[in-house]
Amino acid sequence: MSPAVYIFKRFLQAIPLLLIISVLIFTLLKLSPVDPLAHLKANPSISQAAIKAEEERLGLNKPAPVQYGIWLRNLMQGDLGISTSGSSVSTLLVNRAGNTLLLSLLTLFFTWLIAVPAGVYAAVHRGKWVDKFFGLVTAVGMSMPTFLLALLLLMLALATGALPIGGLTSPDFFEKNVFQQILDVAHHLIIPVAVLTFVNLAHIQRQMRANLLDVYRAEYVRTARAKGLPENVVIYRHALRNAINPLITMMGFEFSYLLSGAALTETVLAYPGLGRLTLEAVLTKDINLVMASLMLGSVMLIAGNLLADVLLKFADPRITLE
Amino acid sequence: MSNQSSLLSLLIYLISAALFLPSLFGCTTKIAETPKQDTVLQSKTDAEKTATEAQDALTRSIYRVRDPGPFKLVTVKSLDPNSKTTDECWQARGEAGKFGGTLTVSIFGRDPKTYNYWDHQDAESAGLGLLMFDRLVEIDPWTGKMNPRMAKSVTVEKDKKTFTVKLRRGLKWSDGHALNADDVEFTFATIIKRGFGNSSMRDTLTVYGQFPEVKKIDDLTIQFVTPRPFAPFVSMLTNAPIAPKHVLEPITKRPMEEFHAFWSINCDPKTLVVSGPFKVGRYVPGQRIELERNANYSMVDKNGARLPYLSKFVIAVVPDQNTQILKFYGKELDFLDIRTVRGFDAALMKQRESTGDFTMFNLGPNDGTQFLMFNMNRRKDPKTNKYYVKPIKQEWFNDRNFRLAVSHAISRKRLVDNILRGVGLPLYTAESPASLYFNKALKPYPQDLNYSRALLQKSGFVLKDDVLYDRNGNRVEFSLTTNAGNSGRDATCIMIVNDLKQLGMKVYYQPIDFNIMIDKTAHSCDWEAVMMALTGDKVEPYNGANIWKADGRLHMFDQRLPDKNGTVRAPDARDWEKEIEECFNKAGTTFDEKLRHRYFDRYQEIVYEQQPLIYLYCLLDISAANNRIGNYRPTPLGITYTPRGSFHNIEEIYIKKAVQN
Repeated sequence: MSPAVYIFKRFLQAIPLLLIISVLIFTLLKLSPVDPLAHLKANPSISQAAIKAEEERLGLNKPAPVQYGIWLRNLMQGDLGISTSGSSVSTLLVNRAGNTLLLSLLTLFFTWLIAVPAGVYAAVHRGKWVDKFFGLVTAVGMSMPTFLLALLLLMLALATGALPIGGLTSPDFFEKNVFQQILDVAHHLIIPVAVLTFVNLAHIQRQMRANLLDVYRAEYVRTARAKGLPENVVIYRHALRNAINPLITMMGFEFSYLLSGAALTETVLAYPGLGRLTLEAVLTKDINLVMASLMLGSVMLIAGNLLADVLLKFADPRITLE
Repeated sequence: MSNQSSLLSLLIYLISAALFLPSLFGCTTKIAETPKQDTVLQSKTDAEKTATEAQDALTRSIYRVRDPGPFKLVTVKSLDPNSKTTDECWQARGEAGKFGGTLTVSIFGRDPKTYNYWDHQDAESAGLGLLMFDRLVEIDPWTGKMNPRMAKSVTVEKDKKTFTVKLRRGLKWSDGHALNADDVEFTFATIIKRGFGNSSMRDTLTVYGQFPEVKKIDDLTIQFVTPRPFAPFVSMLTNAPIAPKHVLEPITKRPMEEFHAFWSINCDPKTLVVSGPFKVGRYVPGQRIELERNANYSMVDKNGARLPYLSKFVIAVVPDQNTQILKFYGKELDFLDIRTVRGFDAALMKQRESTGDFTMFNLGPNDGTQFLMFNMNRRKDPKTNKYYVKPIKQEWFNDRNFRLAVSHAISRKRLVDNILRGVGLPLYTAESPASLYFNKALKPYPQDLNYSRALLQKSGFVLKDDVLYDRNGNRVEFSLTTNAGNSGRDATCIMIVNDLKQLGMKVYYQPIDFNIMIDKTAHSCDWEAVMMALTGDKVEPYNGANIWKADGRLHMFDQRLPDKNGTVRAPDARDWEKEIEECFNKAGTTFDEKLRHRYFDRYQEIVYEQQPLIYLYCLLDISAANNRIGNYRPTPLGITYTPRGSFHNIEEIYIKKAVQN
């Protein structure tokens, strides 16, 4: 099957899957006994009539299946609806998605840049002090919650005054020239990227090391060595290529986290990203916004898996697309 | 009502406090060990002693700045170079400052939702709107009287129903358009009366079911006629900024839904036309709102120069209070407003005050009240034909002795000492001590378990083996709820559970989500005891009528629900409920200050005697300002929604260049 046909088939398969996911999310949201207008209701200066009007405006007074129907119809027309804040959901998502994408892509880049060589190095020099050092670092990275690390770095930023405390841009950002603006954003990105890289680094480095060690024991590696090939060629030509497959699958999953995986870090670091927006939306039961961002997450997951499968085909010719 | 803070921010707080300021370790363990407070209090570490001293100093020193007297009306050269007349401006009362500079403040939680003040539902949008739109009158931050702002004068005519408002000469919108009686008439007769946007404004201004008549007399004169004498009317005008007719009129001719979307937070700020000192210049979602100076603003300083001094006013949007405080320490923020500095932060911040180059301002008790209440509902749910509250419990909760016994069994002093770190006051009355109408005759009382036991005995309750039974032999047990995630309320409930245990009551404490709690108190009426808080009003107690009228929307201790037609009736109102309602009705219609005091005193007295809400404590309002801010002269009455917050004189706030920039 050619890759194009395969992708098209997978795309068709995704449609019923997304529909089922949306029904599930919607039902769960409706079942939770959270009242999106509770804050208004608890305010002595807001009248019953104002609350009624707000209910009507948000369509909260209609039965749940009807609300889902409206949501689906609007979605078909490319309209993601209105958030409880009154602004359109698509504007909100677009506003924030860029920031999160920037953070995630940088994180992905640095994670892989460090994790893959570190994993290879640790596997090759198994049991040496470098391997043990990486073992320690990754153990810390795996066990430490992201928000704790973020907080520690914030404390460091405050104590040294060298780094900004949260946010993405300085108040005078728009008075700067383009070069200064880039520097400003980079300055603000140091802490969030460091936090997320450190935490993600751990499992990819461990995975890489374990895979490579597995392959190391394979017969073809012994054969290659027996042939008298130089060690470098053995590692990078023969062993690494075979060890990389599970990592490509992992990358597919990571793709889905690009837009939603950093909610805690974003909240602690006051980063204007999509994760923080979604978290706030869930807490206030902003149905349209939660639906949109969860659906976006699902689409990213499906797309990521597809991407990984296609990449695997290229990385390993033995795999056939069925 | 205070905002819900998530469990996450609690965790973050505990961790940051533990890492950053080791002295707090003592405090957190102390709250956790509530039952044995007194023994814990004896063993203090040095760090704790410093914290306690700092906190004592703070409580003792409520910040007071001398009343500068009324505003002076001065005439200055008109903004319009061709004009033959001069402009009338109010003269700011502080010292002459320097022009220029940026002030950076912050809000926590979510971004504001709209620039359209007339459509706002959230406090952030309200605070932002108050920076951009002026009102006819303002509360004097020192005396609580009504000062004309856009108006030159407000007079009440002899019939007590006609209010004549004279506008100042030369008022201008930020786009240069003249601001006159047409705008005022449009604001009240079209936007508010017809219910565009948030219809609450219409409801507060409605007197006995009728909206006051608004009539333009001439370009600078407007007359309001209320159907009956209504004393709070002038103070209600402080909630209603004037809207620009030349911009909003076309929108009001279109379907009403379009008004909601107009000037929403994602609009182009260039389209904004304002009358206040600042105007939004740029909105960076999730990060900040940048406001620019409005050159057409109509207030002047001591030298007759047009205010405001600041060229930029930046509002950073920060997820929670802890990040705000960190940013303030890091000098990324110049100012922390009252809701950011909580009791437990205050003592720790006080220790950094001198090295951190900032000053903390204690503005006295907050207008909000924290209380415990029992569900006194005696009715059946018409749908299920079952009682909302079990009849056995109904009897307890409706027994005045029972409620009094609970009130006397709670040690409010310990709540304040341990939960608020001393930065608060025990509360016994429905109005906070900050209110101008606070009834001083109602005396505080200490925890007195013996008195409580005597009261319970009088009602036939029996204590057997440390367990309390009612006269029919039912064990006294009930559930207590508050909103999860609010660490202060959580600790309060735990302490109350322990206090009531000593009377033999079994209290099941169970925190739930804020939204669910509100749903229970406002709709399903399925609850037994709740600890929560309500905001109050320091100047006008009438704003609490929604809580105290028997058919009110927030009459939570005995919520009456609307019938099919949406009307609420209260045929079973108790005598004292009726009397409270009468107090409100009478105080609402008289202009005689003495009489108003008498009615509001009486209402507090009834609440004090009946304890439908068992008041616990109120917080202190504390703000912190970097020392480079000039003219910051906060007062207890001069506080409104953040970001305007305690900057009642925002137009004359300036940045002292001399201090390190």
